[in-house]
Amino acid sequence: MTVSDLPVVGQLLESGAEDRVFDGLLLIGPVLIVGIAILGRSVITTGIATTYVLFFVAYILYLGVRS
Amino acid sequence: MNETIETIGRDLGRMLEALAGLLFVSIIVPLVWGEYYAIPALIVSGSIPFAIGYFFRTRFREATRPGKLHGMIIAATGWFCVAVFGSVPFLLIAWTVEIGLPLLETPSQTGTLAAFTNPLNALFESMSGFTGTGLTMTDNEEVLPRTLQWWRSFSEWVGGVGVIVLTTAILARPGSGSLTLYESEARSERIHPSIVSTVQTIWWIFILFTFVSILLLWTAGMPIWGAINHGMTGLSTGGFSITDNSIATYDSAAIDFALLPVMLLGSIAFPVHYLILQGDLRNLYADLQTRWVFIYMSVGTFALTALVYASDTYDSLFAAFRYGSFQFVSAATCAGFQTAVDTTNVALGRWPAQAQLTVTFGMIVGGAAGSTVGGIKLIRVLTLLKGIRFRITDVFYPETAVRRLKINGRRLDEREMRQEFEEAAIIGLLWFIFLGIGMFVLLLILPQGEYTLENIIFEVASAQGNVGLSAGITGPESLPTLGKVVFLFNMWIGRLEIIPVLVTLRAVFRRGGIYE
Repeated sequence: MTVSDLPVVGQLLESGAEDRVFDGLLLIGPVLIVGIAILGRSVITTGIATTYVLFFVAYILYLGVRS
Repeated sequence: MNETIETIGRDLGRMLEALAGLLFVSIIVPLVWGEYYAIPALIVSGSIPFAIGYFFRTRFREATRPGKLHGMIIAATGWFCVAVFGSVPFLLIAWTVEIGLPLLETPSQTGTLAAFTNPLNALFESMSGFTGTGLTMTDNEEVLPRTLQWWRSFSEWVGGVGVIVLTTAILARPGSGSLTLYESEARSERIHPSIVSTVQTIWWIFILFTFVSILLLWTAGMPIWGAINHGMTGLSTGGFSITDNSIATYDSAAIDFALLPVMLLGSIAFPVHYLILQGDLRNLYADLQTRWVFIYMSVGTFALTALVYASDTYDSLFAAFRYGSFQFVSAATCAGFQTAVDTTNVALGRWPAQAQLTVTFGMIVGGAAGSTVGGIKLIRVLTLLKGIRFRITDVFYPETAVRRLKINGRRLDEREMRQEFEEAAIIGLLWFIFLGIGMFVLLLILPQGEYTLENIIFEVASAQGNVGLSAGITGPESLPTLGKVVFLFNMWIGRLEIIPVLVTLRAVFRRGGIYE
């Protein structure tokens, strides 16, 4: 069984921009938000959240430059 | 039974079942926050639309597929019904606390929550949520139960996706303005060929952007509950807040500036987002609407900054830029978040008249079609301007000349041009007619001398443009009952871009034999 076979998740992976990196960001997003809600603001959680946002922007720019 | 009614009934049933699902999912919030007294209200609120929706869907399951007329009527009646049934949680939770049901440990009643014991206030809040308006009947959102804070934000978020689906997948037809999203030379097809897969992709993009927005706002310093709610309402350009003074509560320049890209994301057409996520960054400047979103926001920000700085509303140029940029982008993207309030600086309703009217202009025009914004939409304004120029220059060409109007890479022939131009002109005219009706009613019912004319124009434009900025008129006590009813109508027609509502009303009146 793969991640794509899971209900809802499988549909999500099939729907988007057909890019596994974005699919990954989509799946990590809620986990990260729940983690922040539980752990609160710390250097580590702030660093992870900042990395998530910056990676999202950088990856779009990378795709733009590559194409 | 009439075939049309069966088709509409079945699809309305599906929408009500979906609404029930959203209400049942929301039970997680009172469970997590220990607001157990809100759970029975949510269960009842979900059960009613589920039962009605299930009945309609199963009764009319053999109905024919919807056509263009059905699509319009389903959208208009569906939005109205969802707003009506979406108001039930406000009403029931307020009454649960008011009565203090035994066995449920209800908190003490607050004036803010008590306002929702009035069904009209509850309906206003729900309609404001699902239409992404953001005008509110609460006087202090902070004291609302978390369950209702969530339901307000959730309704705007779902309404935001709804309007993208409406304009990109359902109502896109020649002359609607939305067709320009697909039929440029650069891209001759929709996101995906079928409506179902287009809708799935819109959801995918919207969910991903929501996570990015929430994390961006949290990184800028907003608490996580605020970031979740404002991320959802910012991206859907709805503008509901969970704090008393909207974004001004945080009084943070970092949060103000972090919200700008969130609101801008919501104001760019989602088919363009799809292409950008595939690496086609050219669309940021090659797509007519997206290019003009940036030009328009920049020019508006510059003008507003200059106006409030020159009028000594703010002491420093930075403060003028901070509040000017935020309020113009908030207005033009139809988000409706406020940073200019009395407790931290100068309230919008006390800005100079020319500054208020600049913000009003932003609200009326709005952002890109195919996004979550309200207003007339940039593409229609651009179509009108190009059409006017085309007609004027036509005089200088010989009658035999074959000319074509070019909009967003599309080369329109005479018939296509007439369709696009007519639609833009009709919607523009109707927009101002209903704006005028709203102003007329408010001038009649509001106490003489309490509000200026620019305050009234501002408030009606905000309701009809689904913006949610307020000059202080909207409130459970300050807005008379007739004003609330008129604003309900303004918000509804504004979200549906007027025509579908008029089509629905015509169908209803004809059915009832009122005319023809």
